[in-house]
Amino acid sequence: MAKTGQPNPIISIRSISKTYRSRSNAVDALRDISFDIVKGEFVSFLGPSGCGKSTLMMILVGLAKADGGEILIDGRRIDTPFTDVGIVFQNPELLDWRTALKNILLQIEIRRLPVQKYSERARELLAQVGLAGFDDRYPHELSGGMKQRVALCRALIHDPEILLMDEPFGALDALTRDQMNSDLQRIWLDQRKTAVLVTHSIDEAVFLSDRIVVMTPRPGTVAEVISIKLPRPRTVESRNTPEFNEYVAGIRRYFFSLGVLKDER
Amino acid sequence: MSDNRLSQEPAGDATWRRHGAWLTPLLTLVCCLAIWEAAVRFLAVPVYLLPAPSQIAAKLATSYPLFFSETLSSVASISAGFAAAVIVGIPAATLMIYSEWFRRSIYPILLTAQVLPKVALAPLFIVWFGFGLLPKVLMTFLISFFPIVIDTLTGLNSVRPESLMLLRSMGASRWQAFWKVRLPSALPSMFGGFKIAITFAVVGTIVAEFVGSDHGLGYILVLARGNLDTVTVFAAILWLVAIAFLYYFAVELLEWLLLKRRGSNRSHELGAGL
Repeated sequence: MAKTGQPNPIISIRSISKTYRSRSNAVDALRDISFDIVKGEFVSFLGPSGCGKSTLMMILVGLAKADGGEILIDGRRIDTPFTDVGIVFQNPELLDWRTALKNILLQIEIRRLPVQKYSERARELLAQVGLAGFDDRYPHELSGGMKQRVALCRALIHDPEILLMDEPFGALDALTRDQMNSDLQRIWLDQRKTAVLVTHSIDEAVFLSDRIVVMTPRPGTVAEVISIKLPRPRTVESRNTPEFNEYVAGIRRYFFSLGVLKDER
Repeated sequence: MSDNRLSQEPAGDATWRRHGAWLTPLLTLVCCLAIWEAAVRFLAVPVYLLPAPSQIAAKLATSYPLFFSETLSSVASISAGFAAAVIVGIPAATLMIYSEWFRRSIYPILLTAQVLPKVALAPLFIVWFGFGLLPKVLMTFLISFFPIVIDTLTGLNSVRPESLMLLRSMGASRWQAFWKVRLPSALPSMFGGFKIAITFAVVGTIVAEFVGSDHGLGYILVLARGNLDTVTVFAAILWLVAIAFLYYFAVELLEWLLLKRRGSNRSHELGAGL
């Protein structure tokens, strides 16, 4: 089912496998995953917890090692961490002794880029996510949603080729999450980065993605790739359209057929 | 500063709310001292058993120069020993984080040095280093080293793996990761160790002075006990308590200056005492 050979792929995932071994047993986390991501595309990996999607993310940018297969980015094989990337984790991972602005600029300091020059851009990014004037706030003065917005700014400040998000809104309440989805889409439409999102929310995946990779659990494999052909920008109202709900229902039905969702135990 | 029409409280209540934090312990102390003084006088307790607070106060006032110079000797030892423990302890813990080999080889030695009652080493130190400052500093160092290493180790390990992955995606060097993330996130835990270590350091110096020294408050204690001069014993103990407090508060002040921005009192506030 996995579609390879897309035109002009920026990321090529080729037969990636990963097994976690402990003393007593071995767990197949990922088995023979192949998939191509096109430049500027928004792709979501959707699946229940335990399907190895987070592991795949880490392998994708060379932060974890696969047991088999290879990753190509721009045709280059990834053996060491790929650094032209911005990452957002489920936990914002802000440093609590740095202000929002300084947290964003950590990305710049570590990369030894001119901090002064990027400070202005950091403020603009904060304004874009609705946090204008919050530069000097410390993480403990921000709500969960605000912290995650700062984390998003930190992932974008250096204008990376790829934006990687591992369940970035998983810890937020449903309303904040919908709002973050809209904000993320607006920024993505503006910057057109290649975006890879790991999520277990069907709604979120449909709302944001160009394509959704549906994954099965244990071992994680690609079950289905779904193209979402809803017009952009997608709005709050888009979530109520029959087309949107048809996609959501279709994916839910698919999980049901895979046995991921059951009516009775 | 609240609206007077709404909260019509007696003037005394306001004073109490504002100054209660230090007034309460002060009054408790005064009461205890008064009971002590009265008990010693009415029961005619011999002065070599238990001197009255007034006698101790008199001693403190008259022998001030002696206590001061001996205190300086102890202070030099405590400061040098504690500083050495910090200067050696932090790099040692850092090496233990990065080198599995170093951690494995040093840990048994560290643990042995800790479980060993260090007083037992004091006679050896006298044999090796005589009665001067060095054996005292060494004892102080030994006794305060362990909590600093252990808590620094815990602190340096408290970095979340996701934070480190983020740094790797930025292409961070080990040096950058240490200075920008690992060390700052270790600070709260490190200060936990420092606070324990500084009180230990005082104990270390006094113990060394007990066992063999010709200077310091510990030496005064031994000397006074030999002469059944209990008043001087109490006075020396008071000096000790005073410097121990000063050291502890100095560490707390430094902690407050470095960590006040982090909002760590939030859990205290929101936990409401849980």
